[in-house]
Amino acid sequence: MIKFTALARASILVFLATAPTAPAAEVKLQDTPIPFSVPKVSDIPRGEKGDAILLGRRLMSETKRLLPDHVGAEMNCSSCHLLAGKVPFGSPFLGTSRAFPQYNPRAGREVTLAERVNGCFLRSMNGTPLPAESREMKAFLAYMEWLSEGLPPGKGKLPIQGTGIGKINTDLVPDPVNGRRIYDRDCVTCHGSNGEGLTDSQGEYVFPPLWGDKSFNLGAGMARTYTAAAFVYRNMPLAHGMNGLLGQGGALTEQEAVDVAEYFSHQPRPDFPAKAKDWPKGGRPKDARE
Amino acid sequence: MRPNLQITVATLLLAALPWSTPARSEIDMAATKAGAAIIEAGRKVAVVGDCIACHTAAGGKPFAGGLPMETPIGSIYSTNITPDPVTGIGGYTYEEFAAALRRGVAKDGHRLYPAMPYPSYARIDEADMRALYAYFMEGVDAVDQPNRASDIPWPLSIRWPLALWSNIFVTTSGFAPVESRDAQWNRGGYLVEGLGHCGSCHTPRGIAFQERALSSTEGPQFLAGGVIDGWFAKSLRSDSGTGLGDWSEDDIVQFLKTGRTHRTAAFGGMTEVVTHSTQFMQEDDLRAMALYLRSLPPAEVSIQAIKTGDDTFATLRKGDYTRPGSALYAEFCQDCHRADGMGFPRIYPALARNSAVLPDNPASVIRVALAGGRMPVTEANPSAFAMPGFSRLGDAELAGILTFIRNSWGNTASPVEEKEIARLRKAFPILPARP
Repeated sequence: MIKFTALARASILVFLATAPTAPAAEVKLQDTPIPFSVPKVSDIPRGEKGDAILLGRRLMSETKRLLPDHVGAEMNCSSCHLLAGKVPFGSPFLGTSRAFPQYNPRAGREVTLAERVNGCFLRSMNGTPLPAESREMKAFLAYMEWLSEGLPPGKGKLPIQGTGIGKINTDLVPDPVNGRRIYDRDCVTCHGSNGEGLTDSQGEYVFPPLWGDKSFNLGAGMARTYTAAAFVYRNMPLAHGMNGLLGQGGALTEQEAVDVAEYFSHQPRPDFPAKAKDWPKGGRPKDARE
Repeated sequence: MRPNLQITVATLLLAALPWSTPARSEIDMAATKAGAAIIEAGRKVAVVGDCIACHTAAGGKPFAGGLPMETPIGSIYSTNITPDPVTGIGGYTYEEFAAALRRGVAKDGHRLYPAMPYPSYARIDEADMRALYAYFMEGVDAVDQPNRASDIPWPLSIRWPLALWSNIFVTTSGFAPVESRDAQWNRGGYLVEGLGHCGSCHTPRGIAFQERALSSTEGPQFLAGGVIDGWFAKSLRSDSGTGLGDWSEDDIVQFLKTGRTHRTAAFGGMTEVVTHSTQFMQEDDLRAMALYLRSLPPAEVSIQAIKTGDDTFATLRKGDYTRPGSALYAEFCQDCHRADGMGFPRIYPALARNSAVLPDNPASVIRVALAGGRMPVTEANPSAFAMPGFSRLGDAELAGILTFIRNSWGNTASPVEEKEIARLRKAFPILPARP
């Protein structure tokens, strides 16, 4: 059992309170949170710059189809970064490009946004990294920069409403037996009784696999119970209600989210051996996978 | 009498009693069983007639009335049909009850507004009517709730002209079986034309708001599509594309039973109909209705609502968003409804060749786009999916997206005008969605 110092605990809470790609939710009381507002695809400018932004947007939604050599899992960025990073509390990318480069505790050093994107390719996509100078990486970066164009000027972690996936009570003790019950009741319709996901009439995944060899690997943020729980709590299921852009969330209690997250995240999935080098400076969260 | 004899007589009398009560209680129980049987039969008839949907206010007691219904001349409120003797229909005789349902005449002689679909209910046969009466008199809890007067201003609120209206525009005859058709078809006709009162929403109305046709023998307007509460209730005739022409009987049964098919789902008024009524109906009654509906010839002669050779899927995949509305479709709709417009069976309705998307009158597809919608919750499918509303988008944006949808993947339909979006946005205030 790892003992946590107060500092480690604080940094875990800060880290858990933010999605890996969003600024920290450390809102100082005198800062007014910036309202969440993103431009539309129809606002993309014409010309070379616009082409890159549009490509970046398409790569977010159709990652597997457009980058098959880099995506091992049946995943798209928008599987977790809902609607290409435009949904509040759905791991959005509003403000992301301003917050990088940033110190990343998991890497134990400062990382650039391109490195962070490649972290997703290695872990969540169970794939291979994109060359930093590739057309596709430049498109991702152009898209994320464009999303933040409407924000007030300034670098760093801006206090924006709806970033990340929100907090979850990490003192809640997960009950995977109850988690399985919830999964069978609420998740099977879309994610399959064996977590295999579902494909549309074109054979493409509408609902991604949550475990098995086509899912994210053990290095992904979603493989951690409390990260998955926060995401599920606010964003699952889709098409549940008539609010938001996807009718998402509002179905489970925090405890239920923790339970079901523990269940599905701990089902078999590909390993990520390099995770042994994560958190080199300490502060490994209690739900990080071994 | 000497005490010993008294005791003997008393004992003999007491001993005699158990011999007589079984006969009496058997009769009582038989009567109660017969009573219970007809009440239960009436309950089922009331489910088919969907009385509860209009006669119950949101959050109100069943059948106690108070649900507002918009008419062009003001709101009217449904009445209390519980057996309360003062505020409900507890004082109605059977004949008075039947007159209200079949001819739209209340106990005191005043005329009911045709929001009460009595022209359809006129087709209810004697057995069903008796059962309904038993149910409403003895199977429903009495609720003391006075009826609410309508908001219709005087002089439009005077009722006697309704008698004239009824005489001129409405035929309230019983169901006339068609001899050349079999029993199943006629059963379907009895249900669709009568208790089902499908025409109340799905039949176009004439100048005096009367349904233009009330049965399959009254011409092609019957169930050809109507406007109700700002929705367009589509054709239930065999029109390809816009009607039921591309639906199998199985599809219709599935739809009524579960609120969805592989391609589409109920929304708007039909969500309530499935939730409260059709999901509980007997399967063979649903089959009879499906058979009957599929036999109705198309209302319009060859409107080509489906065309071949469409390349929308390929262009969306390439990221070619030159067509108006396509970029916004890709941004807001494609994740669920997919680039080929096929959605996902029984979860995300298809937009391709969806008869809710194609009618010339776009009211329904506009309202769903603005306010979203929810599938019925049924016992077969407790996971009811919902679509969020997109009132955050502007009139021009929505008009573009809907025109795009109505003309992609083989769909052909009239463009949607900006002003039509504006009109419906204003007419039906939408609760603002959470961001």
